Amino acid sequence: MDIRHWKDLLARRLMFLLCVFVLSLLFCIAWGLYHKASPVLAAGSWQAILFSSDWHPSQGRFGLAGFITGTLWVTGLAVVVAVPLSLLTAIFLAEYCPVRLRDVIKPVMELLAGISPVVYGVWGVLVVVPLVRDHLMPFFSGRFPFFPFASDNYTGFSALAGGLVLAVMVTPFMISLMEEVMRGIPFGVRESSLALGATSWQTTKKVILKKAAPGIVAAVILGLSRAIGETMAVLMVAGCALQGFPRSIFDTTYPLPALIANTYGEMMSVPLYDAAIMLAALILLIITVVFNMAAWGILLHLERRET
Amino acid sequence: MASEVSQNHIRVRDLSVRYGSTRVLNNISIDIPDKKITAIIGPSGCGKTTLLKSFNRLIDLQEGVSVSGQVFVDDEDIYDPKTEITHLRKRMGLLSQRPQVLPMSIYENVVYGLRVHGEKSKEKLNAAVERYLKEAHMWHEVKDRLHTSAAKLSIGQQQRLCLARGLAVGPEVILGDEPTSALDPISAEQIEQRFLALKDKYTIVLVTHILRQARRLADYVVFLYLGNLIEHGPAEEVLNNPRYAKTKAYLEGRFIEEPEIEKELDLIKLTFPESLKALEKVFKELKVGQVLRIVSGEKNLQGLIRSPLVAQHTVLEIKKRDALTSEVIMQKNEGGYSI
Ligand SMILES: Nc1ncnc2c1ncn2[C@@H]1O[C@H](COP(=O)(O)OP(=O)(O)O)[C@@H](O)[C@H]1O
Ligand SMILES: [Mg+2]
Repeated sequence: MDIRHWKDLLARRLMFLLCVFVLSLLFCIAWGLYHKASPVLAAGSWQAILFSSDWHPSQGRFGLAGFITGTLWVTGLAVVVAVPLSLLTAIFLAEYCPVRLRDVIKPVMELLAGISPVVYGVWGVLVVVPLVRDHLMPFFSGRFPFFPFASDNYTGFSALAGGLVLAVMVTPFMISLMEEVMRGIPFGVRESSLALGATSWQTTKKVILKKAAPGIVAAVILGLSRAIGETMAVLMVAGCALQGFPRSIFDTTYPLPALIANTYGEMMSVPLYDAAIMLAALILLIITVVFNMAAWGILLHLERRET
Repeated sequence: MASEVSQNHIRVRDLSVRYGSTRVLNNISIDIPDKKITAIIGPSGCGKTTLLKSFNRLIDLQEGVSVSGQVFVDDEDIYDPKTEITHLRKRMGLLSQRPQVLPMSIYENVVYGLRVHGEKSKEKLNAAVERYLKEAHMWHEVKDRLHTSAAKLSIGQQQRLCLARGLAVGPEVILGDEPTSALDPISAEQIEQRFLALKDKYTIVLVTHILRQARRLADYVVFLYLGNLIEHGPAEEVLNNPRYAKTKAYLEGRFIEEPEIEKELDLIKLTFPESLKALEKVFKELKVGQVLRIVSGEKNLQGLIRSPLVAQHTVLEIKKRDALTSEVIMQKNEGGYSI
């Protein structure tokens, strides 16, 4: 065998190994986290950790439920804001927008998706937090003094501020996924609806959205799993003070990623503290992996159906 | 325009279509006969689909398309900005190359058009489903599973479902863009049978690249080549005795050659006595087998073709340059007078 075949073989093997290595990283991380978290699991029941919001590390009580629900609360708010926004924009881009305009909008959208979270965080502090404090909070909290609007947090650093910043961050990503899903629908399907005299809106509503529904769901889940893991921007605007279970969109919240970033490495003198933080990280990882797998499952299924 | 009421459903006048800067249809003028099957034939890429889709303005969906000229449907210029496109499309059913069922049940596919036009009465919808599935000859195959997904039907059934769906909105015209090309022979035969059965009630325009299909179905034939309308007329005439060289070559399955123009005469700027002199001169100079292109005003075209000077020449093609001018391309025959 001559030298170039050896090189070929070597390159192939090497690249395969690298690929395996990258894949095994995920398992290594998961296993490592589990290993590090096991002391806190051994010390108390996992139910007490997952379902209690009693977080007093110095007394050995590590209830993570407040952080978990805080994460879901902020993410939920982000989704409520981001989904209609993304969906309508994606519909415009896929169904109505002339190609030339789309060619301008899409790169801008990608640019938005690429901006560093810290920048979004600064923008959140400068714009979104005052907006919540001076306008949204007085309006809603005054007019609807009940769940989920009632609050006595007048700072503006709140779940809503976190949700809004997150929504803006995941919107470009969701738009581009949704638009791709919609444009993947064969052109003939549109034509046959329009040929029967349907308007573009009727076609979108009755045909396109129906065909695209699974893909749109997948896009939302992917956006959601990004939002769940997002740390920096949320940390800067969500207040990060523990309030137990969420009671208002205007209260502060303390999502899991913020907890990890804020406290890991700082409170190491407290016994089991690092194990509890590792557990928090593990939970975050599991949520993200499950969401991503669900979303890619749906997308792969769609792709196979179209071919 | 009371005098024009009796005219055909579809009249095309000087229709040109461009995609960006490429012209895909050149000054097409044609009347589509009512309640007949008109076949549009021609090699692929010659603009058949484009012509068909310009009838219901589906062409508008193409990126960068520009259309000039007019298409009249029932005396309404459909490219007039005031035209209601949804109404126009309601009057034309479309069968595309691959059947495109909508992502819903068989029942919902058939009533889709009725629903988008606002029909709500349950009885009317039910009646329409039965009636039009029967017209498409598939009622018995599907009557027990109307509420199952249309995507599960065989491809031939899907195409007949598309036919039923198109008929349900009550069109006057059925447009078919090679509607049998994706189907197996039996399904194709079924669709052809439907067309023959429906032609008493509908004006049918059928794009096909299958000559035998055109022979079986067509009453009227339109031959397009590279965006030019080469020839059109009753099916027997065009298919059996084509007038122009390109049509003949296409029908015989030969390569269609562009004639090499050896002489050219522009009559546009000349007036009567000079034009005749110029004609006589150029005909005299033309040798046997050589090809001449005459550019002529639309008004004088018929007179020119019928003139005795042209008698010993074969008219290869008549090409419309724009609304007012045409090109006549002719070749001098064997045995014609020459020097
Ligand atoms: N959307 C489009 N943009 C640019 N060119 C097109 C487009 N659609 C069709 N064409 C071109 O126009 C010509 C005519 O196309 P078409 O009407 O589909 O021909 P046919 O149906 O006879 O095969 C072809 O050369 C094709 O490449
Ligand atoms: Mg075609």
